[in-house]
Amino acid sequence: MSSVYLLELRRRLTALGITGSLRGRIVDEIADHLECDPDADLGDPAALARQFADELGSVRARTAALAGFAGLVVAGVVFSAAFLVAPNGMLRGMQSAGPHVRSIRPPGWAIVPAALEVLFTQLALAAGCLAALRWFWRRGSGILPAAEAGVLVRRAVVGVGAGAVCMVCLALVAVAGRSEFGSGWTGVTIAAAGLGLVALLATLPSLWAAARVRPVAGGRAGDVIDDLGPLAPAGLRGRPWRFALLVAAAIAVLLTVVSLPAGDLYDGAARGIFDGLACLIGFGLLGPYLGLWSPRRLDGGDEAPGRPIAS
Amino acid sequence: MRAEVLKGHLDALILAVVADAPLHGYAIIEELKRRSVGSLSLPEGTVYPALHRLEAAGLLSSAWSRGEGRRRRVYELTRRGERELGVRRGEWREFVKVVEAVMA
Repeated sequence: MSSVYLLELRRRLTALGITGSLRGRIVDEIADHLECDPDADLGDPAALARQFADELGSVRARTAALAGFAGLVVAGVVFSAAFLVAPNGMLRGMQSAGPHVRSIRPPGWAIVPAALEVLFTQLALAAGCLAALRWFWRRGSGILPAAEAGVLVRRAVVGVGAGAVCMVCLALVAVAGRSEFGSGWTGVTIAAAGLGLVALLATLPSLWAAARVRPVAGGRAGDVIDDLGPLAPAGLRGRPWRFALLVAAAIAVLLTVVSLPAGDLYDGAARGIFDGLACLIGFGLLGPYLGLWSPRRLDGGDEAPGRPIAS
Repeated sequence: MRAEVLKGHLDALILAVVADAPLHGYAIIEELKRRSVGSLSLPEGTVYPALHRLEAAGLLSSAWSRGEGRRRRVYELTRRGERELGVRRGEWREFVKVVEAVMA
């Protein structure tokens, strides 16, 4: 009887992504329990395996989100440091023309990593911060719904992946700018990018561990409003697109306003509208994957405010 | 006592049991039954995922030990676990005091 139970438990654990030494440990512990008491009420092996998957999935998803964010903080610091030690000409270019990629004149091939760097920096920042925010509000919770655990892991993976692309692109941009900014800055920047990349790669074991387990607990993943936790205004609950429109409008207004002192009102307004639209497009494209909004809620979800997800 | 009532307190109960001495899974469950004089009717299987979760949270540590001719995973309270148990005990006493005041 106990061997049948253990075989079934092993099979169920494997099906839920719990394999290797951890699965062996669980089965050994249950086997020991059954040796002590062959009539023990351990419950259905499928239910027991699901409970393990839900517990481990929740813990690992939270760990992955935190580890991913920590890796991105290190990458962000070295990324910023690379520009703080940049030659004056580059900094002047950044101040007058915005993103440094507009101020330097790199070889033709460098435009690709430079453009990717701008795009992926924003993606890494957004995904990493969203992962950290959701971790913060759920850090003391018990079992997370499987959908929410998946969102935490995907945010961490996207953040770390985008951060890694940034680091590689930063190194390539540094190589491209060598003749213009000197080999000293190039060397420092490549070393900084390497350090950032190592910090991001160090998070891979926790991301892999979280991605392997397949929890099954029911419940919704939440949306971008849930990332604000109790700080979310009641009027925005269940209306993630309204929130996205407000953020896009705020970006547009902010960029327009900061361009006023330089007398570049039209240029600033154009950039503001462009960045606001880019924000909305990113929200639309990546939203379902990163748990910012749910396609199922389009059919009237904007009409009925949603309940905050259980904490 | 119903299992769903206990669920919210399972972590604190496990920490309290392990605080006295390192124990393996079966012994923890037996000790829970003994201390509650059989009142805690929890499906025994639910304790193992909780043990793994508490270990992942750094509140318990575990290691294999050999005894009575077999290998067993023995759980021990960590420093962090001790602090957490102190917090949970305080919260529980406060809760009991408040509920007693209302229910009496």
